[in-house]
Amino acid sequence: MHSKGHEAAHAGEHLHGLEDMPPIMTHEEVSRDVIGRFTAVSWRYMAVMGVLALLFAIGLVAFVIRAVGGFDDTSDWGYFVATMGFLTTAFVSAPIVSAGLRFTKAHWRRPLARLAEIHGVTALLVLLMVIPALAALPDPVGRADIWFDFPSPDWFPHMWTMIAMAALALCTVALLWMHALPDLANARDHLPQGKVRRNVASFLSMGVIGTVRFWRVLYRGGLLLGALYIMMYMAVQTILSAEWSLGMVPSWKDSMFPAYQVMKGLQAGTAVVVVTMFVLRTWGGYEKYFGIDQFWSIAKPLLAFSLLWFYMWFASFITFWYGRQPSEINLIQMLFLGPWAVPFFSSMLLNFLFPLGMFIWNPIRKSIVGPTVVAAAVLLGALIDQVRVYVAPMSLNNHFGHVLAEVPVFQWPNILDIAIVVGFISGAILLFTLVAKLVPVVSIWEVGEGLRLVKVRKFHNRWVRVIAKSH
Amino acid sequence: MTTLQFQENPTPTTQRPPRHHWNMVVDIDRCTSCRACVIACEAENNIPINTEDRFTQQRVNQWIRIERYWEGEFPNVKARYIPMLCQHCDNAPCEPVCPVYATYHNNEGLNVQVYNRCVGTRYCANACPYHARNFNYWEPVWPEDFRNYLNPDVTIRSRGIMEKCTFCVQRIRRATRGRQDVADGAFAPACVQACPSDALVFGDILDENSKVAKLSKNERHYMVREVLGTLPSITYLKKVEADAL
Amino acid sequence: MYYRRTVSDAQINRELLDVVFRTPVWWVVIVSILGLLVAVFMSTFGLLMNQGLGLTGLNRPVFWGFLITNFIFWVGISHAGVMISAILRLSQAEWRRPMVRAAETMTVFSLMTALLMPVMHAGRPWRIFYWVFPYDFARGIWPDVRSPLVWDPTAIITYLTSSSLFVFTALIPDFAVIRDRATGWRKAIYGALAMNWRGTPQQWKLQGIAGILLSALILPVFVSVHSIVSWDFGVSLVPGWHVSVFAPYFVIGAVLSGVSAVLTLMILMRFLFKLQNYIWEEHIDALGRLLIVVAIGWHFLFWLDIVFALWTAESVETTYWQLRLLTPPWSWLFLLFYVFSFVIPTSLWLFRKVRRSFVWMFWISILVNIGMFLERLIIIVPPLMNKDAFTFQFGTYRPSIVELIIVGGTFALVAFLLLMFGKFFPLIPLWEEKEGQRLVETVKVGNVEVPAMIKE
Repeated sequence: MHSKGHEAAHAGEHLHGLEDMPPIMTHEEVSRDVIGRFTAVSWRYMAVMGVLALLFAIGLVAFVIRAVGGFDDTSDWGYFVATMGFLTTAFVSAPIVSAGLRFTKAHWRRPLARLAEIHGVTALLVLLMVIPALAALPDPVGRADIWFDFPSPDWFPHMWTMIAMAALALCTVALLWMHALPDLANARDHLPQGKVRRNVASFLSMGVIGTVRFWRVLYRGGLLLGALYIMMYMAVQTILSAEWSLGMVPSWKDSMFPAYQVMKGLQAGTAVVVVTMFVLRTWGGYEKYFGIDQFWSIAKPLLAFSLLWFYMWFASFITFWYGRQPSEINLIQMLFLGPWAVPFFSSMLLNFLFPLGMFIWNPIRKSIVGPTVVAAAVLLGALIDQVRVYVAPMSLNNHFGHVLAEVPVFQWPNILDIAIVVGFISGAILLFTLVAKLVPVVSIWEVGEGLRLVKVRKFHNRWVRVIAKSH
Repeated sequence: MTTLQFQENPTPTTQRPPRHHWNMVVDIDRCTSCRACVIACEAENNIPINTEDRFTQQRVNQWIRIERYWEGEFPNVKARYIPMLCQHCDNAPCEPVCPVYATYHNNEGLNVQVYNRCVGTRYCANACPYHARNFNYWEPVWPEDFRNYLNPDVTIRSRGIMEKCTFCVQRIRRATRGRQDVADGAFAPACVQACPSDALVFGDILDENSKVAKLSKNERHYMVREVLGTLPSITYLKKVEADAL
Repeated sequence: MYYRRTVSDAQINRELLDVVFRTPVWWVVIVSILGLLVAVFMSTFGLLMNQGLGLTGLNRPVFWGFLITNFIFWVGISHAGVMISAILRLSQAEWRRPMVRAAETMTVFSLMTALLMPVMHAGRPWRIFYWVFPYDFARGIWPDVRSPLVWDPTAIITYLTSSSLFVFTALIPDFAVIRDRATGWRKAIYGALAMNWRGTPQQWKLQGIAGILLSALILPVFVSVHSIVSWDFGVSLVPGWHVSVFAPYFVIGAVLSGVSAVLTLMILMRFLFKLQNYIWEEHIDALGRLLIVVAIGWHFLFWLDIVFALWTAESVETTYWQLRLLTPPWSWLFLLFYVFSFVIPTSLWLFRKVRRSFVWMFWISILVNIGMFLERLIIIVPPLMNKDAFTFQFGTYRPSIVELIIVGGTFALVAFLLLMFGKFFPLIPLWEEKEGQRLVETVKVGNVEVPAMIKE
């Protein structure tokens, strides 16, 4: 009963069953198209860059004013740390999406893997932000500390946090660079001589040529580096949440919290990818690559991460709720029901109820706007949630002691805080737009490889896509 | 800054307003570790005899016990004693974990064990931070001539169920049945009655003039594992250090 | 070299229904031995009911021990069924086909076995209905919904019901195949089970929808069951149990041990039922890769548990960790557990050769489950032994022979039930295999023919 394969007459021709499929291009078409867009610099691009640079500059000024004010009062630095946490949670986690999908060999990942990896470069910005954030930390002595008695020099007690963050940044840059090598070589070979972009591409591509050995190293190394990145991301989230959130609150002993933050990272990282895809599709002219297939497919993990995030929150909440120890009751007051109830419930709404309510409907998942709206809501919710989990602990009066005896009041952001939050998030986006001109934002070789593995065949009375399993 | 306040006496589950809240004060300074309370309790409450086997199997059934701790290095060793029994917590960890309501809080502040409901999951015993709960691993047996000495007011528990200190609820019932007020000290649980050094004091904390109410405000007062927020009904009075005087 | 074996429909029918129509000698021998062991197990159960829990090694303060460990272990094993069938069915992973039925069946049987444990463990098992059933039985008192022990039976019975339905729905087309080939009273029984299945397009469509719906609905149940089991410990105040990470830690640990058990089962099935045409290297390879991810995720949560228990360095926490990590025999058990469940499997699974060797994978999967049993024991007992600040009440625990027989007996029981099932119903779904054969295609890439899947 094997169906006889028939080659589809021609892509683009209207056939029964082919309506949802993207147009099938050749590798050369993809290459010419992407390289062309990659080298073009439009006025719109420059305008966006200008606005982002301005906002980032304002953020930097606000930061300098804060820094001049001193690092003694942790409550001053709450929103700065929350911004750092948000960048880690949303942008730095994006490469996990590409690495994870590469593991599962999902074909729809091909166009979006690169942009997710470019977002990871935000780790460099976070690395810079860690330095003042560490200065704002109170003395680790007399407080719970993630490094226990791990030796570090007296003049630099937070050395290991710094090293962990630097390693993560290094890893994400390596991940991006490695997977961009074939495309950089492509740009080097296809751009006209003498152009600056060609020289940059030529420099960055380090003269690689696509030998069999090179591709083997790329596949193996990409998977290994991706696995390493995921594990390092888990570790860094653990350290961040332990240093600036858990460690700030006496008696907050919540082994779930780092896992909760990692899950939040997966959720927000996926959302960032969705929003970026939408922007590139609508204003960047990449609609051939980011089609329904991508949005529809990524909506499922986004829904799964939203549900898992809620599950992780609930599992830790119920432990405290049933424990009913005075310190636990105060903790619940601080984090969920007391002064921070409004941020908490809004993030619950935006990160759990809204995605759940929208994504259980297949027509919404199977659209461009639906996943984008949900992803934007998830990002907003993630920002609010990171403000809650970092600002509330940082605004405590006393970080030392045995139990949490008092619940901090709600801390409104002042003008400096707002400038810092907006400025540094703009800085992360600015970084993305800059790097997107260094490496192509769509991975040419991965898309091309996918095209080679797809054939359109006839199966009974429908045209279907046949996807080969590559090994 | 807002600080969360605990309700001193949580609303009881029954409708009647609480008339009594039975409390105990244990003065560690007066305790000599004579263990009269332990024996009195065993006799009053029909506790199966704790034979040597029970000790080696770590299945001793004691509703009250004297815990002994050594403090300091030889030769300056001090023996410390602390009588430990069910704390009748107002926010008891053992109560919500029972699937069949075999243990619940009555409106006189007692943590009551209903033997007939118990299926023996032993979850309450794990939940109790004070190790106050005992399980009947075997059917209780007494020597033939001992049977006439059993207390008719107290149920004999079969195997497979939990039991623990009741503050001698049978005595409380006898003393308070049909009466509005009971004079302070008109009755006492067996352990309190037997204590030769008056280290244990029992009474109604709602009666402001009772001995218990006064003693529990003593400057030496503390509660065991207070940090857990279990709100015990037993107040301990700290030992007065001889060398500190 | 990757290739897909082509098997005709007739061959599928013949090979997979072989044991159903013919009773092999090895089956009789193994089932009799297992039956004997199950008889010993049941008699021990009776003795325990008759004499009381004094027969166990439990004491004060160690009120929970081997039987509860065994309960958690079997609930954990039961997680694989749904993990394999529901998630892989929803994500349309092709390699699930030969293993779904075996995994689901194992879910059902291990859950039934797990349910026996709390019954044996209760002080008065004859009163268990007051606890398990949400009804007041003329006593005027309903079970207390605040108690995690009431959530437990609710979750597990829901899970048992839904996974039984799952197995049954997937079996209907195969019942029909057997019905059409059987004679006499067998025909009548299988015919009744097949519920008038004729294989019409309408019936296939309904069956497909039922499969997808049940998968989606069973997923929340699957996550909740072990979470709820973990909250038996998590919500109590016992230091070492009162840990917020327990729910996902238990769930993912359960997936680790459950999928390993599926691996053991698949390899045994391949050997016993001669299913070389259906269970290939690719399948255990895929399971091995899945298990690496699961093991690493589990390991992350495992470390979070340790780090944040020692986080504040309070004596209530350090006492039981001292017991777990530094005091023999617990330190040895801990080391064994860690090496068996994490170090050996994840490091060996990284090698493609190991992942594709039936012998290696068989022994590794067994090691994992030995380790996971120890893990549950280590979670449960040491915190009870050294509970809180009352050093005077510190205790010890040693399982009695009765507990050991019961634990061993449960393994015999599950194996016995699985073999009985395998005698009367095919352990590999015939229709899934046939469907898989139809969706295969080959695509020419360059000069190589690559096997491909049809994607709609």
